[in-house]
Amino acid sequence: MDGTLQQLAVGFGHVFEPVNLMFLVIGIVLGLLVAVLPGLTLVMGVVLALPFTYNMHVIPAIILLTAMYVSGTYAGAWTSILFRVPGEPIDVPLLWDGYPMARKGDAAQALGWTLVSALAGGLVAATVMVLLAKPVAKIALTFSTPEYFAILFFGLASVVSLGGASLANSLISLFAGLLIATVGVDDTYGAHRFTFGVPLLSDGIDYLVVMVGAYGLGEVFLRLEQGFKSAPLEAVKEIKTRLPSLSEIWSRKMTFVRGSLAGIIIGLVPGAGATVASFLSYGIESQYGKRRKEMGTGIAEGIIAPQTAATASVGGAIIPLVTMGIPGSGATAIILGAFLLHGLQPGPQVFATSSNIIYAMFASVFVGIIIMCVIGYFATKYMVKVLEFPEVIVSAYVVMCCILGAFAARNNLTDVWLLVIFGVIGYLFERFRFPVTPLVLGVILGPLAESAFMTTMISFGNDWTIFFSRPISGTLMAVAIFTLIYPVIRHMRHQRKTLKSSK
Amino acid sequence: MITRLLNSKSIAVQLLALLAAGGATATATAQEKYPSRPIEFVVPWGPGGGADQLARKIAPGLEKELKVSLPVINVAGATGQTGLTKMLTSPADGYSISVLIADTLALQIDPATKWKITDIVPAAVMIQQPSAFFVAENSPLKTWKDVEAEAKKRPLKVGVTGFGSADDLHVLYFNGKGLQLTSVPFPKPSERYTAILGGHADLLYEQLGDVKSFLDGKQMRPIVIFAETRFPAFGNVPVSHELGHKIAISQFRAIVMKSGSDAARVKAVSDALARVAATDDYKAWLKDQYADEKSFVGADGAVAFMKQELDIMRQYAPKK
Repeated sequence: MDGTLQQLAVGFGHVFEPVNLMFLVIGIVLGLLVAVLPGLTLVMGVVLALPFTYNMHVIPAIILLTAMYVSGTYAGAWTSILFRVPGEPIDVPLLWDGYPMARKGDAAQALGWTLVSALAGGLVAATVMVLLAKPVAKIALTFSTPEYFAILFFGLASVVSLGGASLANSLISLFAGLLIATVGVDDTYGAHRFTFGVPLLSDGIDYLVVMVGAYGLGEVFLRLEQGFKSAPLEAVKEIKTRLPSLSEIWSRKMTFVRGSLAGIIIGLVPGAGATVASFLSYGIESQYGKRRKEMGTGIAEGIIAPQTAATASVGGAIIPLVTMGIPGSGATAIILGAFLLHGLQPGPQVFATSSNIIYAMFASVFVGIIIMCVIGYFATKYMVKVLEFPEVIVSAYVVMCCILGAFAARNNLTDVWLLVIFGVIGYLFERFRFPVTPLVLGVILGPLAESAFMTTMISFGNDWTIFFSRPISGTLMAVAIFTLIYPVIRHMRHQRKTLKSSK
Repeated sequence: MITRLLNSKSIAVQLLALLAAGGATATATAQEKYPSRPIEFVVPWGPGGGADQLARKIAPGLEKELKVSLPVINVAGATGQTGLTKMLTSPADGYSISVLIADTLALQIDPATKWKITDIVPAAVMIQQPSAFFVAENSPLKTWKDVEAEAKKRPLKVGVTGFGSADDLHVLYFNGKGLQLTSVPFPKPSERYTAILGGHADLLYEQLGDVKSFLDGKQMRPIVIFAETRFPAFGNVPVSHELGHKIAISQFRAIVMKSGSDAARVKAVSDALARVAATDDYKAWLKDQYADEKSFVGADGAVAFMKQELDIMRQYAPKK
């Protein structure tokens, strides 16, 4: 224990060396930038940064990439909340409550909550990472494909039943999303599905065009119909940027705890990263949270749950990387690449052979989170003012961002057309009271769920009961199925009651 | 202030988009100096795997040789076909290159495979490595005999990269010998290694060099190496030939381009690769990866090499 803290102190010593601190700040800023741009995902950003670390020393290289990873889970929330354009798939759950909150004139508070959540989730996970790395790492090994599938199934199920929309409409929307996700070359057998001989379609439909189109463009189309307000949200001017008070935070402590735990555990398992953590945590909150009925209407809990989980997943994902050499997420897989390229092999032996590098990495997570939040705090002040702009101009800016994002993903104009198509679909969905969320959810989580399902079927001789007979997956599946059935039961009970009373 | 903020942000956005658009579909003429813009380097496997390590190892050297940047992009799925498809859907102008590994080439055995070997033109074979079956360090299966005995009682799960891959062919070969082995595809290396370490699979098919950290960390060990003679670093591990299984598909990784690319451009890439492969740094890396020190085959020999490998694979593949 003393040894751990001592080594952590040495790690902090490394991080505070001027050169390393500079790379940390660069990493944070790059991560924020990557997260804000919808066309560049966090993993892609870290991949793009990797070549620059070839000629660097190993410690600054690891610090740079770790810092990017940390801040990449945070800044996408800004665009989610302000423009309804998620900068990362991680941030989709953040717009469900964040954007309504901003529309109510509480953008500053929404951003404040994101900041506090990222800070809390990040620091809790980092502490677990340092103190409990070895015992906790074992959890990662107990999860296999049935558990991955159960986690994803729970994520899909819990969000479908959310909010005021009818269950039937939600399901239709979800299955449309799942269907869109099947387009392209299938991951397991390499079969071409719905490609119609079009080369681009065999590449699949990027979740990005669906996500950005249905939310970002869809919202702009909707406002176009309603007529833009020249000076929207008068209330914004009166509100000062403020962080939530301690008592406000304390009254939501369980949400923070649940979010952090979900983030750490999802971060640990190799099959899922920050995105799944964020979706799952929102799902958990909408099942067990104190204010579960109000989720989706713009309450703080809906921001805390996904954001704490997303940032907490960073600490979680680093644990199996350093203790076993298994990356817990896409970004840590790249960081593993950086380790290998510097001739360093993470695994049980690494604490003995290169503990200074590992502890420098640990320390950079702590320092990174704090610097990120400081930058975030000052950036927030100015960002909220964006809402004082005439809506027309903000919308034009949103459209530009969406188009650039769609094009940058694969350098292909067809994606821009797809974006427009999904924008129209998103608009029509909103217009005819079909929820957009399950559609996007299906597109993002569908392929992950499919591959987990297929691998399980192959691994267990097509025995579907395996999902229910393993303890972890069984529990998750049971909860998910109850979540799906409960609204139907409630509806039937309600009908019986009204029948009785009418008699 | 705000306007400035917005402007600087949107400029940053545009710059990034321009950077990203570097690999876009500009029409290239034969006279144009090649390469004059970044070359997209597709890795059809997840980050951290052998194909990825190769690309990340040689990309900086290639950048120095070709004097343009080579952003590495990981596009995993379908035994490398998702990434290969990405490369094949780009124009044949030499601005998109891809890693091709034996696993993906093995898919050619199935006539239903959408792409043909004639769709690609190899620039060079960069690395050839022996493969092995591994078990977790604490596995009850201690020797190859244990595996044979157990596989007659119950089906053993083998973690492989994907169906139809060289990994899968080894499994099919042993199926033909009466052993119950089941291929379970895990395209992401992290999931494949978790499967074996967590006891979710009984065996793992992998190249020695790819699991070096797990071997050094005493987390897993090879139980049989697929080769003709014993490998110096693992003198006490039997090889397939001495056990009477004459199967040893070399696990190679090559750099390929889309066929129809200008021959001079293929040569430019091939020559650059040859110079990278000749460096001491690369040779040391090969040794570190437990690879054949004479791994490199240039563009001239690579086509013949790949055809020959494919013939060997066909020989082991199940007859349909």
